[in-house]
Amino acid sequence: MTDFVRPVRDELPRRTVLAGTAVGAGVLALGAQDPAAAASRFFRHGVASGDPLPRRVVIWTRVTPTAAATPGSGRGPRVRVTWQVATDRAFRRIVARGTVRTGPARDHTVKVDARGLKPATDYFYRFVYQGQRSPVGRTRTAPAAAASPSRLRFGVVSCSNLEAGWFAAYRHLAQRDDLDAVLHLGDYLYEYGVGEYAMGSDDVVVRPHVPRTEIVSLRDYRQRHAQYKQDPDLQALHARHPFIVTWDDHEVTNDQWAEGAENHQPSEGDYRARRRRAHRAYDEWMPVRLNGTAKLGDGSKIYRSLRFGTLAEIALLDLRTYRSQQSTAVPTPIPNPDPTNSDPNRTITGREQMTWLKRLLRRSPAQWKLIGNPVMITPVVFPPLPADITGPIADMTGLLPTDGLPYNSDQWDGYQAERREVLRHLADHGVTDTVFLTGDIHSAWACDLPVDAGTYPLSRSVATEMVCTSVTSNNLKDITGTPARTTSVAIEAAILTLNRHIRYLDFDSHGYSVLDVTPERTQMDWYVTGARDDRRATSRWSTSWQTRAGTQRVTAASAPVPSRRSDR
Amino acid sequence: MCESHGSSSTPTPDLSRRSLLRLGAAGGAGVVLSTALDAPAVAAKGRTRAYVLVLDGMIPGEIDSGLMPTVKALRDGGTRYPLARSLPVMETIPNHVMMMTGVRPDRSGVPANSIYDRGEKVHRDLDRATDLRFPTLIERLNRKGFTTGTVLSKPYLFGVFGERATHRWEPFPVIPVSDHAPDLFTMQALTSMVTEHDPNLVFASLGDCDRFGHSDLTGTSLRLLRNVALAQVDLQVRRFVDLLKSTGRWRNSVMIVLADHSMDWSRPDRLISLVPRMAADPLLAGKVEVNQNGGADLLYWLGPAAQRAEAIKRMRRIALATPGVLSVHRPRALRLGPQAGDLVAYCRAGWRFSDPQPFSNPIPGNHGHPATAPIPFFITGGHPAVKRRTSSKRAATIDVAPTIGELFGLGQPRGGYDGRSRLL
Repeated sequence: MTDFVRPVRDELPRRTVLAGTAVGAGVLALGAQDPAAAASRFFRHGVASGDPLPRRVVIWTRVTPTAAATPGSGRGPRVRVTWQVATDRAFRRIVARGTVRTGPARDHTVKVDARGLKPATDYFYRFVYQGQRSPVGRTRTAPAAAASPSRLRFGVVSCSNLEAGWFAAYRHLAQRDDLDAVLHLGDYLYEYGVGEYAMGSDDVVVRPHVPRTEIVSLRDYRQRHAQYKQDPDLQALHARHPFIVTWDDHEVTNDQWAEGAENHQPSEGDYRARRRRAHRAYDEWMPVRLNGTAKLGDGSKIYRSLRFGTLAEIALLDLRTYRSQQSTAVPTPIPNPDPTNSDPNRTITGREQMTWLKRLLRRSPAQWKLIGNPVMITPVVFPPLPADITGPIADMTGLLPTDGLPYNSDQWDGYQAERREVLRHLADHGVTDTVFLTGDIHSAWACDLPVDAGTYPLSRSVATEMVCTSVTSNNLKDITGTPARTTSVAIEAAILTLNRHIRYLDFDSHGYSVLDVTPERTQMDWYVTGARDDRRATSRWSTSWQTRAGTQRVTAASAPVPSRRSDR
Repeated sequence: MCESHGSSSTPTPDLSRRSLLRLGAAGGAGVVLSTALDAPAVAAKGRTRAYVLVLDGMIPGEIDSGLMPTVKALRDGGTRYPLARSLPVMETIPNHVMMMTGVRPDRSGVPANSIYDRGEKVHRDLDRATDLRFPTLIERLNRKGFTTGTVLSKPYLFGVFGERATHRWEPFPVIPVSDHAPDLFTMQALTSMVTEHDPNLVFASLGDCDRFGHSDLTGTSLRLLRNVALAQVDLQVRRFVDLLKSTGRWRNSVMIVLADHSMDWSRPDRLISLVPRMAADPLLAGKVEVNQNGGADLLYWLGPAAQRAEAIKRMRRIALATPGVLSVHRPRALRLGPQAGDLVAYCRAGWRFSDPQPFSNPIPGNHGHPATAPIPFFITGGHPAVKRRTSSKRAATIDVAPTIGELFGLGQPRGGYDGRSRLL
């Protein structure tokens, strides 16, 4: 079934048409009708919403006014597109509307900060061009700043590589009716050419990338965004829930840092120019406020925060644009002995973002500080070393990283001085109930976050971290080409044994997570999806972990939260 | 707790103004309660009873440690505020005063455990009844015909609240080094007071958790003494709840259980002494007094007023350059009032101040700094006003008086509360 609107040519004020019977709350449920096919020729890339605030939300679409106006082409006329926001599916009660211009200069994307809305309210939105309607999207505003919601719930995803499989995780999340928003923690798309990084050790291409080569130009980035936005499962999820996103590296290119990237060669031109192009396309194609606005071209600062009453504040980090170059490259998971991993002159956040983050942690009026964190912050080292022992040794000899030898220096482990700065800030200021929500590493983790992992569990934990699996990107078993629960088990055991603050680890699964937030606790439920090349892969609950208020520690939960909510 | 130096002695309450009642208590120990001579003959007004139970120095997460099943059950059955905080300076006396006044120290006159008294030219504890300059909830309830009681385990708390309550317990026996009455005796006194006088409000403070925390040389790592204290506190709370339930009082009772501050442990080498650093500055030498409050130092400029601005600038610069100092604030910004001096310095987690000498503060467990601000705070009991819910709103010690005041239908004090009622 679907309640996507089929394009009709009625006059807008008199229309109440919804295709289908719109039974239930879902904007669409996959199977009955392909939403890409349902969209008109003008709206081929679906609709989306994001960055919900109490009184406004970003709504997005892309219009294709002529056949030639394909993404990245720079062709097609400048046009006017009308948008509407209503409290009902039939658009009888329209509460906000307007008209905006778009054209080839912005790749015919439409991004509007719809204002004048009510807090904690479900809305429906759509776009109209030449009398033809877009599919209908549903979104939800955040609670008022002073409100104290009894519950919030978010889908949590990261690392969705289209070539590596179907987005079953998105499909299953789109079928849920209980989410306030979806957090995408980075690697929303991948930059690689066809077959360069696909499914498994043999790089089986489940769906070929468009364009076929690695994306470098603005045209390339636009076409790649357009391809992802035509995926039916992603379209369904965008149409059903607002997104709250940040980027990791692949939105530009692999292992990027402030001045370059592993996957950027001199022959591909100036790196900063490439990043500007990538960020431009991202701003055009994503329902996000860069630099605090829905406008294009006014800056590309993506780190920001969103309040959900007194219950939670979500801070989204940018851990790529300002970071120092990674230390000596050592393949994961081989321990990296490079002492520059703890060099205090190196940064992963940049000074301005660090100041902003510390201030937010210190002053947030919300109980739960949820940090959308593109790469893991928990120490994963061999072995964790007490700071009181390694600090003087490192100062004297400069031979070892102070926190121990990290297995992946692309994450906070490669920037140990700044990690200590954040964790000590939490301790110094008595900040409680901070939960880092992380992607990037294509595996599931639940961790305590001690200031000094070398003395844990005798020393204090100051926060926790929950890491979601990838939607499709290769995990450890995929890389090694071995069956699940074989080779990975030994590595998981070694990490868990040497890092006692890590309570749960699964290197072998793909899927999505659901984060349930109440004043008593936060709970992350991990769901595992089936074979990535199975268009109809199923989903099953895997495990759940909680952070109880005031404890700064994770504990196992016995069951996932029910998908039905009593607080709505 | 008081880590001050050069403290003056606590004024002994005037016995001639008290009528002493010796009451038999469990285990044969004697409990001495004093009652105001002008106390109403009838013990209490109405059925509602309120008990404010301060678990001095408790860290919120300790309730989930498995050592405190009774306290956890009370918390989970009531209205819980996980974001609750102690307020500056995160010390015992000012936060107990904030609980009973509902106003910040710039209005109550009690900003810290210890100050440098410019008038008397001494460092002293704020343990005199005259130090507290704002009408307390206790007095205001008394004026409305309700009866009140205080059962406070530390002599300086007994001192600052003085004879305000209808019924008082003077802590006894007091352990010399820790300067507090063990919880066993404090709870016997509370039990006796409720059994014999049944006041409308009892303000009780249990000190073991704090005192064992201060002296626990196993500190952050093992916390052996601390854990014993937690189990003991839970046992005492259970005794009290059992009493309320067995005597039928529970259904009319509201209990606010909270801490005045939490606790942080430091190593012997993580000491901060600002006195020698101030003395090394030509302008400041001999003209600065530093009053140590564990995790906070209060700095006083004693030189000419014309040099104050420059002196404060230097004091701030020197303090911020000292390893272990987290931040420096003007007292006004923290709403502490003039008694707190010219600057307040906080230490980082895992450090402590030790002034005037590096050996002045030998105890590993301290509070007063922001690391010790998170506290447990919940409202429980059998009274219909108690709701089972967890709130994400920020509560604070200053909210106790407005909450109890609402329960008894009391209006706002002159100038209003700085806190707010946390009854849902």
